[in-house]
Amino acid sequence: MSEPQAARLVLGPFNRVEGDLEVALDISDGRVARAEVSSPLYRGFERMLEGRDPRDALVLTPRICGICSISQSAAAAAALGDAMGLRPTRQGAAMTALIHATENVADHLAHFHLFFMPDFARPDYAGKSWHRRAIERFTALEGSAQRSAVEARTRLLHVMGLLAGKWPHTLAIQPGGVTRAPGLSEKARLQATLRSFRRYLEGVVFGGKLEEFAAIASLEGLMRWTHGDAALFLEIAEDLGLETLGRGAGRYLSYGAYALESGPVFAAGVWEGRLKPLDTRGIVEDLTHAWMRGDAAHPWDGATEPDEAMAAPGYSWCKAPRLDGKAFEVGALARQVVDGHPLAVALAGGGVLARVAGRLLELARTQIVMERLAAEIEPGAPYMARGELPHTGRGAGLVEAARGALGHWLRIEGGRIVGYQIIAPTTWNFSPRDGSGMPGPLEAALEGIAVEGPGALAVQHVVRSFDPCMVCTVH
Amino acid sequence: MSQVETFYEVMRKQGITRRSFMKYCSLTASALGLGPAFVPKIAHAMETKPRTPVIWVNGLECTCCSESFIRGAHPLAKDVVLSMISLDYSHTLMAAAGHAAEAALEDTIQKYKGNYILAVEGNPPLNEDGMFCIVGGKPFVEQLRHAAKDAKAIISWGACASYGCVQAASPNPTRATPVHKVITDKPIIKVPGCPPIAEVMTGVITYMLTFDRLPELDRQGRPAMFYGQRIHDKCYRRPHFDAGQFVEAWDDENARKGYCLYKMGCKGPTTYNACSTVRWNEGTSFPIQSGHGCIGCSEDGFWDQGSFYDRLTNIKAFGVEANADQVGLTATGVVGGGVAVHAAISALKRAQKKTQAKVEG
Repeated sequence: MSEPQAARLVLGPFNRVEGDLEVALDISDGRVARAEVSSPLYRGFERMLEGRDPRDALVLTPRICGICSISQSAAAAAALGDAMGLRPTRQGAAMTALIHATENVADHLAHFHLFFMPDFARPDYAGKSWHRRAIERFTALEGSAQRSAVEARTRLLHVMGLLAGKWPHTLAIQPGGVTRAPGLSEKARLQATLRSFRRYLEGVVFGGKLEEFAAIASLEGLMRWTHGDAALFLEIAEDLGLETLGRGAGRYLSYGAYALESGPVFAAGVWEGRLKPLDTRGIVEDLTHAWMRGDAAHPWDGATEPDEAMAAPGYSWCKAPRLDGKAFEVGALARQVVDGHPLAVALAGGGVLARVAGRLLELARTQIVMERLAAEIEPGAPYMARGELPHTGRGAGLVEAARGALGHWLRIEGGRIVGYQIIAPTTWNFSPRDGSGMPGPLEAALEGIAVEGPGALAVQHVVRSFDPCMVCTVH
Repeated sequence: MSQVETFYEVMRKQGITRRSFMKYCSLTASALGLGPAFVPKIAHAMETKPRTPVIWVNGLECTCCSESFIRGAHPLAKDVVLSMISLDYSHTLMAAAGHAAEAALEDTIQKYKGNYILAVEGNPPLNEDGMFCIVGGKPFVEQLRHAAKDAKAIISWGACASYGCVQAASPNPTRATPVHKVITDKPIIKVPGCPPIAEVMTGVITYMLTFDRLPELDRQGRPAMFYGQRIHDKCYRRPHFDAGQFVEAWDDENARKGYCLYKMGCKGPTTYNACSTVRWNEGTSFPIQSGHGCIGCSEDGFWDQGSFYDRLTNIKAFGVEANADQVGLTATGVVGGGVAVHAAISALKRAQKKTQAKVEG
């Protein structure tokens, strides 16, 4: 960020980011004229799955990402279950949801405290009325809020210990449910763990009842929230104009989160100014600007053939997923908008503030759901349904990771995997341009941002508001 | 070389009290299996010795090692170790970004030449001149070689750095390569596992920081204090193995009784790690406790030994003719020590020739 005169700025590596990320900015008149987001990492997971026993996906895919490994587990289990024609038992689905929600909540907490807020403690903001408080709370590795968040998160992750054996990388989630049938003592410990986490959220993050935060229905109502670290963020956001910084196109996609027997906890759908049903047949991965060979294809038909020459016009290992030819933003905000929450709908189309507030809103709402799931645990109920893998068949596993829509598309022939395509949330949000030149959501959000003077950190805020998790774009 | 503060000075600067410091010393002693007599020795070492700088770099990986680490055992141990590391260079946790971060790395290398520990998470992919993993515009393998050149010793965190892990799974599209095959002229300590247990990570790094030497290693280069026993040796389900009581299917009656998961494919008998003693997420549980067998994630090549499930249920582990199912049948029919002894001996045999244990076809 040191050469504001240059016509082209390359930012990277970003740290406090999962994996590696580079952002190339064409600058004109001190503003971003065009952004190219590049994922400089390729691991080839989709290729190594080919030829294996389909069940191996349960072990291999979580290792795509150590931060959202449960989401990958859940997607792989769902894809296998879809291929087997198997639905988890009621309690199996509920425990999968509880394990998954715990990870997503832990991710939101880590994003806010460890990845996003520390930028406001940087010396660039010296003199701001909130700067001293930001330093005290959010200085990287030292801030008081950071320490308490890491500790609260560690305690929350006891849920993983109790239900999933270990985290990261559990094996407890299977196509028919979970391997761990909790008894009464686990139920009590889970409820105690969640109560303690609520005390932390209400005491520190929100400074008030979760139900009250979850009931906020408008932007004005949100900005009137005066307690906890949430209020410090809102104060900063108002001062720096984060509402309009890095605005999205207002197109959101959600596969629906936490599939219970009764349906998803947060609804599936598409938002383009209004709610529409989701038809995943319209999804295509465009390869024009990816270092990949082949043609644009639906993930059922897609392949992953890396172009070792890294030939132009490619500039990323990331493919460009599109739904009906359009780029979509995914994540907590997208989920909450698609679920129709009035505050999220009011925030739709917004920028940094909307994305971060969407996460806070989801944090509050999800905690309430997790408490319900734990309270409804029935020791003795069946936690796993059994089924047979087809010799030939296919299945899709669509779930919601913390960062947004995650899909696994699995094809089986002769009892082996012949095709495995993964579209991760970061593939959507950080996608390169497509054949028509339409930029990915982050690329679009960066256009027009000032890179000099007081706004020098703006690019950082916008990038981090998407919560990048680059290793998931591995293909 | 410039003047470096002692551990104790650094800890005091980070706001850690004398009382917490002493507590940390006793925690360290017990974590490392040393008696209370070592507490004053550790304290003395930390008060007088300059702290050892640490550089933490990330290659092709999933950050699960960092994730495990930042939820380390005792908050105090984690705080102390983290505050040491953050002083130098850590890709995931540090505050600086972009060129400032790269400069910080270079500074640390120059300032502590020959004296720092290089902690590596992930591994370098070598195909296409390393272009599959780019850090700061250069292939990660270059950063690794560069940082390793002046390191005193290297820690290979996790299965990725130690053995390659899943990104090295066949056909290994990027030719992901473990650290010791790229860096051959430095002492390397392997801390495998996917991820390694947080307490093991803090234990290893604390030992190295405190005593300024490598812990005792086994022949594979793993710290013997944590990788000296098989998970099976200390598994709480072991009595069921010895009694021939096995889970036959997910969530069956036997699963609810907590029987042995060997027939569901558990690799506990061939996996050297501390999961069954230290456990995970602050000692809450470990995979076998959650009802799923161990997959052996701290063993070399665990990702490419045939299917994780298939080979496990059909495995011909007990001699040549019998498979686990037949032994299970015998076990349910016969009461007495004979079967138990047989099963235990077979498992040992299996451990010795695990590579031959693949199913045909």
